[in-house]
Amino acid sequence: MSPPQQPSSTNPNSLKIRLTHRFLHNLNNLNKKRSNLDNTQIHQRYNRVKLAAYASMAHVVGSRRAWSRAILWKIRNRKVSTRHKRVDHKPTNHHHARSIKRRTTNHSNPKREYVDPNGNSGQEVKLRKLVPGVETMDACGLLDETADYIKCLATQVEVMRNLVDLFSTI
Amino acid sequence: MSSRRTRTTRTREHDIDDLVSKLQALLPSSSSSCKRTTVPSSKILEETCNYIKSLRRKGDNLGERLSQLLDSMENNGVDVSIIKDLLQP
Repeated sequence: MSPPQQPSSTNPNSLKIRLTHRFLHNLNNLNKKRSNLDNTQIHQRYNRVKLAAYASMAHVVGSRRAWSRAILWKIRNRKVSTRHKRVDHKPTNHHHARSIKRRTTNHSNPKREYVDPNGNSGQEVKLRKLVPGVETMDACGLLDETADYIKCLATQVEVMRNLVDLFSTI
Repeated sequence: MSSRRTRTTRTREHDIDDLVSKLQALLPSSSSSCKRTTVPSSKILEETCNYIKSLRRKGDNLGERLSQLLDSMENNGVDVSIIKDLLQP
């Protein structure tokens, strides 16, 4: 059954319904794929549920948004890497990021607002780290993506809460 | 010339203000206190970061509970596909 293409994407009721369907669909697929795991793999299952949540969020929104595109790309890359069983650590990135952090810690006045080389304030930098896919966006795009991301995250949390309530009464 | 540049920067600032107020409307704290005073945008950004972090934490906790429930359900023989078929319109 192909999912219907709805033009009004951020109507909360339709978003919630579509998220619920997609999330259950993903959970079902996860169950089917690894059906012969025993009870010791509960941590792995928790990771898979988390992955299903983010994946369903990104799939429902599709490629309309930068954050959903970033999540979908990450998922696709993860699938490819697990299929080829590649162990790609990339230690250089870690060292680079850590050295930058050490260089810019403000010992003299810690309350002073942090401004990075591009002129972004500390809050904006933090926001760029939290929302996927907005690293190179301008301020307007960043705020727009953040608003959409928050809407979808809140709806996803509500869907999961409803499912937990439902499953705990069965 | 200079007037055009100030006009474009002004419209851009208006856009950013609109977006920031839209963001503020999404945050949970704005619904409780219906103040008309303008909150500084840095505060709004900070609250946005905290809100995203708290949403993620809630999602993780719910995911953990959900995985435990699914495990217990599987042990009792219930299947997720049944639920999905029940919820289909």
